[in-house]
Amino acid sequence: MTLSPTFLLSVAAGRLRTTRPDLAADLDLTSLEGLRGAQAVLADREAAEHGDRTVVVAVVGDFDLPRWVVDTCRFALAVPAERAGAWRHAFTRTVYLAGRPDSLRKRFTFDHVAEDGSIAWSGPAPEADTESLRRLLKTFSGGRELAAWAPVTVTVPGAGPPPGATGRMEGEPHGAGTRQPVARDLYIATARVTVADALVQVNHLLVESAMDGTVRPGDRLTLRSVPRLTGLSVPLAALRVDTDPHRPGELRAYAGLTEATEDSSGLPG
Amino acid sequence: MTGPARPRVLLAPVTVTPSKPLTPSHLKGLLWADVMYRATAPLAEVTYRYSHTTYHPTEQTLGFWEFLDRTHGDIDYSGLSETEIGELYVAYRGEGATATAGDMRPYADAVERTGFVHPASALVLRLWAGHYERLGLYDPGLLTHQPPGYGLEEMVSDLVAAGLGLDQRRLGGPVYLDATRFGLPLRQIITAEGRPNYLACALRELLPLAPRYDEIVVLYDRELDPDYQLLERVLAQRGPTVRRVPIGRVPIEGRITSARHGGWHGHTVDALLRTLGDHCSPEALRLGVRLYFIAGLGPGQRESFRHELLRRSIARAGQLLERAGNQPDEPAVRRTPSQLTRLLEPHRRDHLHIDPYRLTSSLLKRGRTPSRPLLSEVFL
Repeated sequence: MTLSPTFLLSVAAGRLRTTRPDLAADLDLTSLEGLRGAQAVLADREAAEHGDRTVVVAVVGDFDLPRWVVDTCRFALAVPAERAGAWRHAFTRTVYLAGRPDSLRKRFTFDHVAEDGSIAWSGPAPEADTESLRRLLKTFSGGRELAAWAPVTVTVPGAGPPPGATGRMEGEPHGAGTRQPVARDLYIATARVTVADALVQVNHLLVESAMDGTVRPGDRLTLRSVPRLTGLSVPLAALRVDTDPHRPGELRAYAGLTEATEDSSGLPG
Repeated sequence: MTGPARPRVLLAPVTVTPSKPLTPSHLKGLLWADVMYRATAPLAEVTYRYSHTTYHPTEQTLGFWEFLDRTHGDIDYSGLSETEIGELYVAYRGEGATATAGDMRPYADAVERTGFVHPASALVLRLWAGHYERLGLYDPGLLTHQPPGYGLEEMVSDLVAAGLGLDQRRLGGPVYLDATRFGLPLRQIITAEGRPNYLACALRELLPLAPRYDEIVVLYDRELDPDYQLLERVLAQRGPTVRRVPIGRVPIEGRITSARHGGWHGHTVDALLRTLGDHCSPEALRLGVRLYFIAGLGPGQRESFRHELLRRSIARAGQLLERAGNQPDEPAVRRTPSQLTRLLEPHRRDHLHIDPYRLTSSLLKRGRTPSRPLLSEVFL
């Protein structure tokens, strides 16, 4: 598989079609202009739903990519199926706020808190539910460009809070299910991608993969940095595509999750 | 007169940026702080901390200096008036473009390492020192190099360690003051590029000082109230009681304008002193401005500045001085602590510092002859 504008468009259109089949039927998703028009229609609809939109709010005190990937998966796998559906419907919208979770835990209840306390998640829930939290904090601003790293492998944890952490999730996690753990590579573009961009883009890929069952507890993810995903020739199970702010009107691949790279059966889950 | 039990009070008014003429709003703040300092001194060990050095690293000062050198080159500022320098400041603000952290770095480094003050601001401070002298204001060190106790990084580390700071510079984000545990909003104090705002500067100064005092009084422009609520929380963690004293500005013809937009015209302190100067005694001027800007205008900001009321206050001051006996007082009497203490005590309510409004208003009570030692100690 080779990345090309046509392929990126088909990925972006495919996501829109799967997420909002109710709208997709009436929209032209065969061209970039059509996709942009569809996005504008969606933005208008969302604006009209203000306050009711389902969002996740994540409070970021510090950020370490491998730790964050682990906790993002743990959080996503624990989201109850019903709430996951509403969140998916809202394109897994996630708002990142700067804040110290330890300063907030007396006043706010979080659904998941990272083991090291660096990040806390609230939701998915109607936007209005987190209004006071959002008023108190500021949008996370991480303008530093990602730097390349040596490949690092993490294991996707089981759903639910880590031992000792407080968190609440009601209902049956959608991530429950059985299959043998697999290993995948998670490629992340770094050129002109800031920490804040990565939080947004990689998050969509991970949480939607968790919902789809592409990422499951026990899977091993090897995080690999590349300046761009251009030229990547490995088969992908999921690809994150979004508009490129540096090339207005164009799409860009931000992160890709490969098909299983090896048979991991027999590895400890 | 000092004893082991004397409480320690820190007065920390917000400083005026030395880039423009003093206006009635500035003068009001300075007079409130001055009366508070001088009236509290007989009752407590008071430190009046007012360091321009501390606030030079803010963007509004460094950016102005960078602008002057970039647009005017090596010129002689010594012949300029405060108003002329203020006009340059308005031009700087009007330029719109913000100097980058890189543009300001030579100035920031010079402030930190050598105590540098740009000649334009040094001139403004010298002119202000002259106004202070004329108005009988205690000079807390306008021309003195008074660096804050903490460097910028020391301050950030201290805040973070206390659970009151969030430093995201590693991620390309800013540094925040985090009092969210008290329900107060997160507040940026250093930009992602490393530029501190005035709150960061205040923290560099006040965090290391705070544990040494029983009470800290912060005097500030009412519009800065949210920031000072934050400061109160942070400083109170170090032990002292923190008293916030917001002081309203003085509207000119019904309007409160920031000095950054100019518009002070005939209402600078310099101009006021020139028009008032020849018509009253130096003592009546000193007492009169305090009667007007403290008792007359009060802590709020409803009343616009009115020349005729200021003149009336100065005339009233002349009468009060006459009644009090317009003779230089005996140093022995003046220093009798019991007499002064007795006069001042009722004006401190439940705190350690004296309330300037209550004390100054008490001079105007009908039929009362003010104590000459009190006037000399606090108002002249």
